[in-house]
Amino acid sequence: MNTSSTSVASDASSVAPQPAWHGQAYSTKRFGISITDCDSEPVQTPGCVQAHGALLVLRAADLTIAQVSENSAAVLGTAPAALLGRPLQELVGPGNAARLQAMLQQSVQQAVQQGVKQGAQAPDIERNPSYVFTHTALHTGLALDASVHTVEGVVVLEFEATGRGDSEQRDFYALIRRSVAQLQRATTLSALGDIACAEVRALTGLDRVMVYRFHDDGHGEVFCESRRDDLPSWLGLHYPAQDIPEPAREVFRQTWIRPLRDVDGGLAELLPLTHPDSGRPLRMTHCALRAPSVMYTEYLRNMRVTASLTLSIRRDDKLWGLIAGHHYSGPFDMPYDLRAACELLAQIVSLQHAAAEEREHAAYRQRIDSVQQQLVTQAAHEGGLAALLDGPPTLLDGLDTGGTALYHRDRWWCAGSTPSEKELDALGDWLTARPEMQLRDRPLFATDQLSVHYPPGQAFASVASGLLAIALSRSAKNLVLWFRPETTQTVRWGGNPHDKPTVVGPHGARLTPRASFELFIESVRGRSKPWLAVELEAAMRFRMLMMELIVARADQLAGLNADLARSNDELDAFAYVASHDLKEPLRGIHKYAHQLAENAGQLGEADLQRLAGLTRLTLRMDTLLDSLLHFSRVGRAELLLEDCDVGEVVEEALDMVAARRGDKPTHIEVPRPLPHVRADRVRLREIYTNLLSNALKYNQQASTNIEIGWLAPHEVAARHAYTANTAQAKTRGWPSAANAQTVLYVRDNGIGIEPRHIDQVFKMFRRLHGRDDYGGGTGAGLTIVRKLVERGGGEVWIESAPGQGSCFYFFLPAEDKPLSPPQAENTP
Amino acid sequence: MMPLPEIILVEDSDEDADTVQQAVQRCSTPARLCRVQSGDACLVLLQQAQRELPALVLMDLNTHGMDGRETLRLIKSDPRLATVPVVVISTSANPRDLEHCYRAGANAYHLKPVRYTEHLEAMVAVLGYWLDRVVAHPGRGVQS
Repeated sequence: MNTSSTSVASDASSVAPQPAWHGQAYSTKRFGISITDCDSEPVQTPGCVQAHGALLVLRAADLTIAQVSENSAAVLGTAPAALLGRPLQELVGPGNAARLQAMLQQSVQQAVQQGVKQGAQAPDIERNPSYVFTHTALHTGLALDASVHTVEGVVVLEFEATGRGDSEQRDFYALIRRSVAQLQRATTLSALGDIACAEVRALTGLDRVMVYRFHDDGHGEVFCESRRDDLPSWLGLHYPAQDIPEPAREVFRQTWIRPLRDVDGGLAELLPLTHPDSGRPLRMTHCALRAPSVMYTEYLRNMRVTASLTLSIRRDDKLWGLIAGHHYSGPFDMPYDLRAACELLAQIVSLQHAAAEEREHAAYRQRIDSVQQQLVTQAAHEGGLAALLDGPPTLLDGLDTGGTALYHRDRWWCAGSTPSEKELDALGDWLTARPEMQLRDRPLFATDQLSVHYPPGQAFASVASGLLAIALSRSAKNLVLWFRPETTQTVRWGGNPHDKPTVVGPHGARLTPRASFELFIESVRGRSKPWLAVELEAAMRFRMLMMELIVARADQLAGLNADLARSNDELDAFAYVASHDLKEPLRGIHKYAHQLAENAGQLGEADLQRLAGLTRLTLRMDTLLDSLLHFSRVGRAELLLEDCDVGEVVEEALDMVAARRGDKPTHIEVPRPLPHVRADRVRLREIYTNLLSNALKYNQQASTNIEIGWLAPHEVAARHAYTANTAQAKTRGWPSAANAQTVLYVRDNGIGIEPRHIDQVFKMFRRLHGRDDYGGGTGAGLTIVRKLVERGGGEVWIESAPGQGSCFYFFLPAEDKPLSPPQAENTP
Repeated sequence: MMPLPEIILVEDSDEDADTVQQAVQRCSTPARLCRVQSGDACLVLLQQAQRELPALVLMDLNTHGMDGRETLRLIKSDPRLATVPVVVISTSANPRDLEHCYRAGANAYHLKPVRYTEHLEAMVAVLGYWLDRVVAHPGRGVQS
């Protein structure tokens, strides 16, 4: 019991200090100032009480006094020596003792019958102090409330001044009935907190009552506040996690209330310090009189607080925050019934917490839902995800975000503040590879510190420290991202959180609580406001809505495709019938013109020319109709795919166009043997005859040179890689589908095509030159080529420049898969 | 005196019918041309029991009323009429039409060119062939 102060000092200064009370019972009064680390302080077994009340430890069996606080003479009028070992009734009289006895018995019965008998009247006093009787101190005549609880097999009886007149009995429920009704109506957490502060303050008369909320990292924030008008506001101030050390938090997970009547009120040690029967220190977690830690009183003194009341707010068995009351004008009495009222309030706040948060989130959820519904309707109506950003509303409007980006159809669609497209590309790739995004049911990734997970994110931390991402589909890269800016906004600390706690205090080489509570403003880097569960759920609901929309659109597209195929069929049938039916009158016109010309003895030269023109036009129309007929048939015939030797096919085609070569010198070059491809041989020949006759026709050079060649798949791939990196990539229409295909080509040294006309040459009857220039022609040849190639699932395209000749490329897919379905044949 | 061989022409275009008429006139073998405008009329004619069967039916495919395809099918499926040569003259080069007509028993299939001179020549050649060269089925005229 009498450890010298020198040994305390030497222990404390050693490198690996043992607690000063090592090997003996702890007492705050004796060893409190030797604490070097808040997290090692035995706050639940301080061995002392606050000196304004007295505490007795009774044996459960016979209610004899085993321990007593050393101030019993001052509070109760009887010295400890006269109490220890004596029965309680000698102090409080047989009536009060019997009352206590009855309570203990009921409590025990209740514990036995728990779960069977509902609605018991007597309180369960295990770890739950309850009023038992009022005792009048003989030497002062002061009325003392006695409250009792049991812990670890002993009975703890605490005496405090009632703070009211003799017969006056306050009904704490009546005190807080109004508060309860208000708390139940709170629709937001801050409203709930405001009501709690105001009501606790109104109930107690404390100078300041705050709701102190813990953040995920343990630091705290003054969330709500009610204060005396002349006090500065602490609302919105943040305090580092160390300000409320872990042992203190643990106490608040177990008890609802922690009163400290007077910071300077002094401590009274228990006599003896440990239980005489068990040798164990008393567990005082639930004692209203429990002595505060020296660290705590010092901390309060530094803030000029003279008395405090702390209540816990719990949510789902976690300590969500505290209701902290501070008093600045001396000691503050909190008699039993007032404490009970406060405790009840704290419990109700805890119970209502979930409801208030739920209401707050429900309102938010409703707002998000309403916007998202509008968005989906908009997207469904306008037929594209891009409509999500056309607005109003846009994707930005639902969730509380700073920017949003949608990856859809191989590009980003952004609104608000977002990283650049290049940054988005890299981020998108990273996200797609995240395991979270692979989850079937919940492909979602959310963080309020992106750069911790994704270091390149530091570059755009200001706009996107927070990221909430969902994948719309797992197969393709279809992402929706929401960004939250960095909260560089300022955290206002109550004191500099970094300047502690290496200061050597007045008690030597030990830590001291922070002394400075000056406003300290700090920028928080790389962090955003965290995402709420309600926001994550909203994102998932949004995803579901979008999926439904996508499925609906897929159905719609399938329907449209069927319609399109049908109307194509009908168009072909129409072209076929029309050209037939047109031929009959045409034959008649031709005939009459012919007959007129034969009997034209008396006609003048001009009229004869007109008749000749009429005849010529009928013949021209005949060729046009033939082309149309042919074209319509191309789309309708079944393809007969086989292995074709392109070299042989080209030979046949050259034979067929031989007549066109005329007298002009023509060089046909085949640089290397042509490959084999899988195609319909007749159609392939027709493609070549059309391309070759085109090449022969549109040429003004002295000698027509035609090259017939091909590129193997790996050569095409190499070319793709090259063109992708040049500015030509976009102007030269190498289709991406050509990659990994065998590409065939026919190159000429002819007149070439202006870039702006390249799209025109494949159009039906679209001629770029005069009707009779270049030997005439219907202008259907290339249209037929394109239809033949596309019918086989391939593509045809041109590289050309005026005066430099043209090169027609085409490929037919190596596999049979992309064939368009054969169209029904409608015979006219 | 032997009656002139009869040719039934099924053709709803007057111009085309006129061309055939001119072709008949140019033929070395004289013949009678009987023109009807539809397949129905042709069948009515053929089914008159007392009437002698024609030497040839020239059939346009796209006539109003019953079209040439159906008429051809009915003629060739009638035991009495099946031996009458039916030559199809059509604008259509559609392989489907060719297939259909030959399957139905058409004796020949000719295209009608738009160019008048070619058209006339084609008709003269067809008529000359069927009237001058072909040895007809012996049943002709026996049944009357």
